[in-house]
Amino acid sequence: MNLSALTAVLTLVIGIIYSIQSYNLPRATIGSPMAPVYFPLGLGVLMAIFGIILLTQSVKRGDFKGMDNKEKGLTYTGKLIAYTCFVSIIYALIFEEAGFVISTILFLGSILFVVNGKDQWKTNTIVAVSFSLGIYIVFSKMLGIILPPLPFLYI
Amino acid sequence: MEILQYLFDGFTVALEPMNIFWVTLGGALGTIIGMLPGLGPATGVAVLLPLTFTMGPTAALITMCGVYYGAMFGGSRSSILINTPGDGAAIAATFDGYPMTLNGRAEAALAMSAIASFIGGTIATIIMVFVAQPVAKFALKFGPAEYFLLMVFALSATASMSKGNVIKGFISMILGLMISTVGIDAQSGVTRFTFGILELQGGIDFLVVIIAMYALGEVFSTFQSLKEGKKKMQTKFGRIWITKEDWKRCFWPIIRSTPLGFFIGALPGAGGTMASLMAYNNEKQLAKNPDDFGKGEIIGLAAPEAANNASSVGALIPMLTLGIPGSGTTAVMMGALLMLGLQPGPLLFQQHPDVAWGLIASMFIGNIVLAVINIPMAGGLVRLLAIPPRILYPIVLGLAFVGCYAISNSVIDFYLLVIFGLVGYFMHQAKIPTAPLILAVIVGNSMEQSFRQALTISNGSFAIFSKSTVSMVLIVLTIISIGYPFLKDMRKKKATENA
Repeated sequence: MNLSALTAVLTLVIGIIYSIQSYNLPRATIGSPMAPVYFPLGLGVLMAIFGIILLTQSVKRGDFKGMDNKEKGLTYTGKLIAYTCFVSIIYALIFEEAGFVISTILFLGSILFVVNGKDQWKTNTIVAVSFSLGIYIVFSKMLGIILPPLPFLYI
Repeated sequence: MEILQYLFDGFTVALEPMNIFWVTLGGALGTIIGMLPGLGPATGVAVLLPLTFTMGPTAALITMCGVYYGAMFGGSRSSILINTPGDGAAIAATFDGYPMTLNGRAEAALAMSAIASFIGGTIATIIMVFVAQPVAKFALKFGPAEYFLLMVFALSATASMSKGNVIKGFISMILGLMISTVGIDAQSGVTRFTFGILELQGGIDFLVVIIAMYALGEVFSTFQSLKEGKKKMQTKFGRIWITKEDWKRCFWPIIRSTPLGFFIGALPGAGGTMASLMAYNNEKQLAKNPDDFGKGEIIGLAAPEAANNASSVGALIPMLTLGIPGSGTTAVMMGALLMLGLQPGPLLFQQHPDVAWGLIASMFIGNIVLAVINIPMAGGLVRLLAIPPRILYPIVLGLAFVGCYAISNSVIDFYLLVIFGLVGYFMHQAKIPTAPLILAVIVGNSMEQSFRQALTISNGSFAIFSKSTVSMVLIVLTIISIGYPFLKDMRKKKATENA
């Protein structure tokens, strides 16, 4: 199964699930009870139809025959993306507690360490620290957009 | 002469020192982001959004336009110097721009691209001065039914004109509309698709989706190219200027390509990429020696650059006058305006003429500023291209998260950012265009509301959608826009069968 076959299947599945969910939406208590349902239901049905069209196209092309063997394990890009997402979630978890500056230094630093390489640790550190401090000063002090302050010090 | 009076008032707004400062800053930052391979004006505006949060609407709009233009100017810098277009619209600049660099004429290429962009942008703005107001006045007559059909047309045109599989364009559009249905329904109070998560009751913020798609999604996609070695680049330049002969040869192609670009830009769905490619092919057909194209013919650079910038001005027309964005970038700008509490659309010109005309006037100034940034200062600016993307892309990621937090002050949106970033990456891989989704997310709510308002007015009868001439025209246009790509496919098939 290649990517376009996967797209077709996903489209169909999203269409069906969304249609069912739309149909099961609570009915409105004022006005026409079905009013909040029509629009999403229409979307779901359309999505499912497009899924079917894509699926027939895929089957015709033979996208389902023969499994791709090269997709064993994650590619370099895949690993990098997975790592970035992981770091982002950690970032979200510590953002408010550790404050903007510390969490951002850690976030940017850990991405730079992998993307830019360990040998460049000096550049990485300088970039991470100056970005975090620079943005904090510009946003919090100059633009008045409040970012979580440093813990205990509150500056 | 009413228009000239408005324009004059607009200039008094645009010439305020702070506004000149903002347009310059936006232009410079936009140029830098535009130069980065893979990141175009939409990403530029999305990432730099937080800058505008504390500004007034006029200043915000002026800054964003500066970024938009800057990215358009910047996109062609990397096309010319390293054969890597900053975004789709700059692809045409690689055809003859890069060969010019190889022939040792990088200076002329950089200068010509900036001059052509400047002329294209300025003439297009003059056209806009005269077109914007009448369009807005016309649109005032639209009722909910017409508005709904107009949005249907804009969305379906965007979906069907996107490259590749038309069905994928529509899938992207529906996905966007689905995202817009999350949250409490404004008319009935019914909670839809929140999965019991309290934070989702207010709906998914379209700005978060935009930043995720354009910043995270694009950066994820560029991870692939990080492993490739760095391209060598010329860093020393002579005087960046063109010869008299170049100017004479390019003058008419620039003048011809500008209205073409403007018109294509104003159509929903068709954007800078299509405008610049059409201008390129046009000039190639008109040229005495079409074989020179692709080998460093300066006309092949000037024409698409003029068309490209003209189209970016044209694209603002539907967004400002109708409140319906026709491209990814203008969708992002509209999202930002909505956040600032300003509803773009026909009433903008009546209720906030200072904003509308201040923006138009600032476009003239922005063009001058960018020409200055991109010609005398080009030598220094392009050195930024020598900074490895391995450092720049993580910084773009950092900016995306800051922007996201600045919008909502909640880390919940960080998770949404990651999720939609992955969706954006997957769509990129599956060759599903993202622009229809972005457009749909932004107009989705008002589209559903006007659909239901129309039905309420007509007591549930669908006949209201075919009552007026405007509606009929819009329906026909929608059918054409959907049918056209299929027709083209069929013709192609026939042609290959006959051959």
